[in-house]
Amino acid sequence: MPVAPKVLPELESAVLVLRDVVKTYVMGSEEVHALSGVSVSIGKNEYVAIMGPSGSGKSTLMNIIGCLDVPTSGSYSLGGEMVADKSETELADIRNRLIGFVFQTFNLIPRADVLHNVELPLIYGGVNKAKRIALAKEALDRVGLSDRLTHKPNELSGGQRQRVAIARALVFDPSIILADEPTGNLDSRTGEEIMQMLDDLHANGQTIILVTHEDNIAAHASRAIVLRDGRIESDAQVENPVRAARAEHTVLAH
Amino acid sequence: MRFWLDFQESLRIAMAAIFASKARGALTTLGIIIGIVAVTTTMTAFNGMQSAFREGAAAVGADVIYVSRMPWIIMGDWFTYRNRPNLSMDEAEALRDAFTGRAIVNPTMDTRQDLKYRSEVMEGVTIIGTTEMLPIVTNRLPETGRFIMNFDVSYKKNVAIIGKTVADGMFGSTSPLNKEINIGRQRFRIAGVMEKQGGNTFGGPDFDRQIFVPISTFLKSFGGRRFGDVDIAVKASSIDALDDLEYEVIGEMRKIRKLRPAEEDDFSINKLDSLMGAFNSVVGVVLLIGLLVTGIALFVGGIGVMNIMFVSVTERTREIGIRKAIGARRHSILLQFLLESAIICLFGGLIGVAVAAGITAAINASGLMPASISAGILVSAVVIAMLVGVLAGLVPAWKGARMDPIDALRYE
Ligand SMILES: Nc1ncnc2c1ncn2[C@@H]1O[C@H](COP(=O)(O)OP(=O)(O)OP(=O)(O)O)[C@@H](O)[C@H]1O
Ligand SMILES: [Mg+2]
Repeated sequence: MPVAPKVLPELESAVLVLRDVVKTYVMGSEEVHALSGVSVSIGKNEYVAIMGPSGSGKSTLMNIIGCLDVPTSGSYSLGGEMVADKSETELADIRNRLIGFVFQTFNLIPRADVLHNVELPLIYGGVNKAKRIALAKEALDRVGLSDRLTHKPNELSGGQRQRVAIARALVFDPSIILADEPTGNLDSRTGEEIMQMLDDLHANGQTIILVTHEDNIAAHASRAIVLRDGRIESDAQVENPVRAARAEHTVLAH
Repeated sequence: MRFWLDFQESLRIAMAAIFASKARGALTTLGIIIGIVAVTTTMTAFNGMQSAFREGAAAVGADVIYVSRMPWIIMGDWFTYRNRPNLSMDEAEALRDAFTGRAIVNPTMDTRQDLKYRSEVMEGVTIIGTTEMLPIVTNRLPETGRFIMNFDVSYKKNVAIIGKTVADGMFGSTSPLNKEINIGRQRFRIAGVMEKQGGNTFGGPDFDRQIFVPISTFLKSFGGRRFGDVDIAVKASSIDALDDLEYEVIGEMRKIRKLRPAEEDDFSINKLDSLMGAFNSVVGVVLLIGLLVTGIALFVGGIGVMNIMFVSVTERTREIGIRKAIGARRHSILLQFLLESAIICLFGGLIGVAVAAGITAAINASGLMPASISAGILVSAVVIAMLVGVLAGLVPAWKGARMDPIDALRYE
């Protein structure tokens, strides 16, 4: 599919806008250009898959979008605010309130039980205990883990752990959920379950950005951005997102 | 609210971390325990000595000024005091007249004499000549019988009120009251026995190995050779009034002695304060050295904690990354590790204080020296332990707090 350079849409409807974002790592005397000029705008309730070969800068881009990292140059605005101006603490608060991370390796706190893991963002966000527990339980309910509240992460399967991570990501009702290869450590069937969950969140209005190597995972998204050597190679709408297909299957199965 | 939640969460993590590696925590704590035991025992020993001293010195009275020829604690050149005239009974009376209605003035003189009762002999007992005012000035009262009375002084009666040690030594279990004893070459009737004063330590005066007689009788019986060497006690209406009183006493004494403005005082003002001060400056130095030495033990313990905290931070690098990714601020991470090391040290402090209390009891039981633990010591030992924890945790916690979230997340 030919790629027309994406014209930035109306800024108001955009959740985030990156312009000429460059990220350069200096390794001794050598410079690694992880991103060399990325401009992209993502609107509310978009479902974006970021693809590309290993080392193309996908994770770097996700880290910048998630405010874990700042660009070397270029601008990034999230919810209409420039991230470059933010202090450490403000960035922490943005990660807390506006971003929900889902990692390939789940990244749950091993010593804390399921409920506490999901409560954590709310704790750092200053939500009182009663409300926190209610919200955490609700989030766990949405991922179908209401019966595992007191389990420790190592007592759960990989798929269940990732569902806890999703519950944790969505518990504070973030603007964006960022998932960096969320199915990378799961078998394909469990991966599908997780994707179904993300699909549901998207259907309920959530903005989702996910990184993946796999076409069938990317096919869940409605927009696919392909990176190569730190640049956007293509950025296009997905013709027939898998969701629709699955819905048909479901109907047929009945 | 947010800080409180942060605190709760940090506390929870800290406790979980400590209980997850109990053996390591216990080993780390050991260093702190040893340090706290050392420091606390030093403090209880000092405290014991101090309170023993204070108990003994209570007879001096905290609200009393003593006018004497010599200062109790001689600082500097003794020769400057040597040529001072003795305080005479006349001067004591002049001072009493000057303070009539304003303060109680009580003269005392003392000497040493041998006692004899039948076959019992006690050598070198302190004989104090005084008036009926002494109990008011020093809060010392007879346990049985009575003290010197006004008419004893007026009529130069040969009555004696003896200290507890004297009573026990000379009379054992029989009552000394109305017995006649020889003090030096004079016969005295025992009219009372003083209550036990205790607190005889560091070779200070034994307040129970004393005998009180009317000062008039004293002069007649023992004071013939030399005129004077009276100590004059002046009791203030309250401790707060002590400083003003001291000023007035100096003024009156200078008037009595007709000193010209350029002349220095040729008498000394003594009080409990100066005694305490001297005690504190001597024993305080010992305490300081003790604390310095034992503080090194605590310091070493603190270094141990710091090491363990570095290990703990490194071990939990990934957890730090996760927490930062979901919105933990730097100070949340800082707090988490500071609390962990403070709690480890708190445990160490509590155990250390308990052990030190045991050692203190043992020291007391052994009779080697007095030692006493106090709420102040307990609290300060625990606070010191926690402080060591906070200090020891500071650098490791800061290292954790300022980790880059991405690097931390990538840490294997
Ligand atoms: N902290 C860093 N220091 C130095 N170079 C880095 C750092 N992080 C990433 N890079 C480099 O930046 C480039 C992009 O890395 P990035 O992790 O974004 O790739 P990716 O697309 O996520 O790859 P993968 O699919 O393997 O996860 C790579 O060449 C990588 O080596
Ligand atoms: Mg990657």
